[in-house]
Amino acid sequence: MRLNRENSGARWRMRPDGPDKVTGSLAYLTDLTAPGMLHGLVLRSPHPHARIAAVRTDAARRLPGVAAVLTGRDVPGLNRFGIARQDQPVFCEDRVRYVGDAVAAVAADSLESARRALELIEVEYEPLPLLDDPEQALRPEAPPLHPEGNVLHAKTYRTGDAGPVFASCAHIVEETYRTPRQMHAYMETEGGLFVPGPEGGLTVYAPTQHGRMDRLQLSRILAMPEERIRVVSSPIGGSFGGKDELNVQPYGALLALASGRPVRIHNSRRESVRAGLKRHPMIIRMKTGTDANGRILAHRVSIVADTGPYASLGAEVLNFATEHAVSAYRFGCVDAESVSVFTNNGMSGEFRGFGGNQAVFALEGQMDRLADALGMDPWEFRRLNLKTADEPGPFGQPIARTDGAAKAWAALAGSRLWRERSAVRTPQAEVPLASSSAAADARDAGTALRRRIAADSAAPVSAGGEADPPWRKIGIGAAMVMHGAGLGFGIPDPSGGRLALRQDGKIEAAFGFEECGQGLIATLEQMMIERFGFAADDIRIVIGDSDAVPDSGSSTASRATSMMWRALGLLERPFTEKLLEAAAKACGRPSRLLGLGEGGIRDLETGERIVAYEALAGRQKEPIVCEAATRYPAADTDIVGAHFLYSYAAVAAKVEIDGLTGRVRVLEQFHAVAAGPVMNPQGYLGQIEGGSAMALGYALLEEAAMRRGQYVTNNFDTYLIPTIADAGGPVEVAAIEDLPEGDEHGPRGVGEIGSVGLAAAIASAVRHAAGAWIDRLPIDPALLQEARPFEKAAVIGDE
Amino acid sequence: MNDDTDLGAPEAEPLWESTVNGRPVRLRVPQAKRLLDIVREDLGLTGTKRSCEIGRCGACMVLLDGAPVNACLTMAYQCAGRDVVTIEGIAGEEELHPVQRAFLEEGGYQCGYCTPGMIVSVKALLDAIPDPSPEEAEEALSGNLCRCTGYGGILRSVLRAIEKGRGGS
Ligand code: FES
Ligand code: FES
Repeated sequence: MRLNRENSGARWRMRPDGPDKVTGSLAYLTDLTAPGMLHGLVLRSPHPHARIAAVRTDAARRLPGVAAVLTGRDVPGLNRFGIARQDQPVFCEDRVRYVGDAVAAVAADSLESARRALELIEVEYEPLPLLDDPEQALRPEAPPLHPEGNVLHAKTYRTGDAGPVFASCAHIVEETYRTPRQMHAYMETEGGLFVPGPEGGLTVYAPTQHGRMDRLQLSRILAMPEERIRVVSSPIGGSFGGKDELNVQPYGALLALASGRPVRIHNSRRESVRAGLKRHPMIIRMKTGTDANGRILAHRVSIVADTGPYASLGAEVLNFATEHAVSAYRFGCVDAESVSVFTNNGMSGEFRGFGGNQAVFALEGQMDRLADALGMDPWEFRRLNLKTADEPGPFGQPIARTDGAAKAWAALAGSRLWRERSAVRTPQAEVPLASSSAAADARDAGTALRRRIAADSAAPVSAGGEADPPWRKIGIGAAMVMHGAGLGFGIPDPSGGRLALRQDGKIEAAFGFEECGQGLIATLEQMMIERFGFAADDIRIVIGDSDAVPDSGSSTASRATSMMWRALGLLERPFTEKLLEAAAKACGRPSRLLGLGEGGIRDLETGERIVAYEALAGRQKEPIVCEAATRYPAADTDIVGAHFLYSYAAVAAKVEIDGLTGRVRVLEQFHAVAAGPVMNPQGYLGQIEGGSAMALGYALLEEAAMRRGQYVTNNFDTYLIPTIADAGGPVEVAAIEDLPEGDEHGPRGVGEIGSVGLAAAIASAVRHAAGAWIDRLPIDPALLQEARPFEKAAVIGDE
Repeated sequence: MNDDTDLGAPEAEPLWESTVNGRPVRLRVPQAKRLLDIVREDLGLTGTKRSCEIGRCGACMVLLDGAPVNACLTMAYQCAGRDVVTIEGIAGEEELHPVQRAFLEEGGYQCGYCTPGMIVSVKALLDAIPDPSPEEAEEALSGNLCRCTGYGGILRSVLRAIEKGRGGS
């Protein structure tokens, strides 16, 4: 189904959190203030690698208005954090390993005093040798950044010895791909309000993707039982993986407890860039060979990931990248070896796509190059090597059976955009020059604007037409994506939810998930309405408050929608029965004649309302509550990180290259996504469109550049994310909803998959348009600039 | 107004008088105080967001005498005596502004953090050009970054707002 408002009918719903968002009345956690509040700031290292010889805080402490100055000595519990491995210091005591490393923190009664106090803290550093290149950091002579050395994690997956197989290949393609450090660039920087309780407890209001994980981590740092910490963690002004790990929470919490007063922290963008996570830069080498007919016989992969100074989720990201460097293709022999390396660069960590973005860019690059070597149609070449529904997953593990790959492939093959490809030829130099072909002046009722955003009414832009200047080139490319969801084998992945009829008559759905903007609240509300028949008004959604929700696990890894669906499925019978039994008691009719409906319990036959939920609630001594515990399904394997549920996407992009500037513009996109039934059409569409804009930035614009361990792109003036002018072309999203009969896993999440494939499709389109193979992102315009006629002449003249 | 109001500001600070969302406002604030801080801290109007603070993202967009400006780059003295409208002043007494309704209907937002600034810019655009060309819309909105939506929903919202402006649905 082509996903849009028209095709979704009544299933296209207004989000419950919408009105507060469009009026500006929604209080984000970084908007909160409290009476008597202090302002917190963190002192971070100016050096990417140095020994700390001394820290002197006396002068800062003496400054009027300063309520607390903290260093490593003031951490009552574990002076470390990390979701998977606790190796990142809250405060560094003897050594700093990147420019975001914290050394001290202050709280003062004004931001101004806090700033002055930071300046008064004296830290003596003795710079240490810098390790800013992951390959250098792997050399035996490199100084170790941690006692165990510079390897955070190594992953090997080998089905056999590829060496001899390559000898029998008819075509071999070998390439090294490099991907950039991408910034999440959520619009709301990290921050929050930290309020000490009257009896030594603490309430944390700070965005995170997993409130209960923050609570656990804070309890370790503060040496305080989890029950005394309440974490309020939604709403969130964007996260994309970047706020899953702790950021300012340890500092806010420690300062609030030390001063006994509420403390507010809200990072500047500069500080957010400096301290925050980024997508792992990777160097991916691939050697892939086929027989003469195009069947892949061997695939060798080596990945070096720059994980920065501490672990965060670097190991898990590497496992994911390795798995998705294999993806959905049938390789005779796979030999993959990956390593995640500590450096003194910025922190890398979780980011939407989780290592798949890098791997798919490389893998799809191989597919295009091999097809080219074979003289085959690139899409046909993929079909030839795609696994069928019954074959195992990338690590040879059993996976849930779906036809997603074949269906996504076929949807793209039949798309208008892909069929247009054969008509597109790069323009001939002889084509006469003419003025721009933009149909800009149709000035009625947004016609031109509609054309700009709607694929079906897009004016076909055929290159080589009379209107095209010779330096304008058009190309269409495509990529396949397979994306695992859930945390994977070997990582506990519990979830659950709770339904209750509360005293006030509201049906309360409580989940430990977070609203990052993805529309989780809307999706949950829609599931409650469609599954149970409640009206929106009957429902109260409770999320994002560790005191009020059950453990659902993190809102990450495209897992929340799946887990809500699964939990509601488990709760449907018991909760319905309890409500109907209570209603039967109340009205004296047998419960089998009753059913749930809008506003209350109804007579199944007549549809007439028998008892309103409010009245029903009023008759109960105790609220009616059902809780479900479940877990994300995992593969039956022994390979850590291997997934069980996958979604698939086929992505096509049409680009225009200006040969004078080398600039690439994406004119149109097509996404076929096979991820099971669509729970919330608006949310689904938004995830694919939004994710793909991120991939567009990844392909063309974004790089958090570092020089000698220092960020050189510190804000949106130099770190460019797509604007409306960059991302304004039509995006068609086709949702492939079917699942095999008997599938019990329901909707697969789509939070990440939209962000994965477009970069590879753009690279493919660039090759189609200009003949250049792209092996590095973001694409360097200089590569695509043609020599000007006079320069050509000059070169010839030189010869 | 929140508890952060600069009530105790020294007399020495000049008096800043403006109209904010139709109401007269008088505050003692330093001449160089940013409008962003005045609305968020002194007036407690937190719908105006802070994100880049260098005029690049548009999260802080407000209307100054009807024209969109970045509140993070506007200082008190530059807007004294002028008419400031923040996102909180866009809706009518009873009803949301058509641009706000369009965003709700089309889903022109996700996390919502860019949304106030975006809506302010769209309103300014459509006030000036009721039926903009794609180039005009892109030009007017390229100072508003959105990381969540990819702008598809935003463009559809603009389109819908144009139709509403013409008495359409
Ligand atoms: S905060 Fe003003 S433009 Fe970004
Ligand atoms: S909706 Fe999140 S930044 Fe625009």
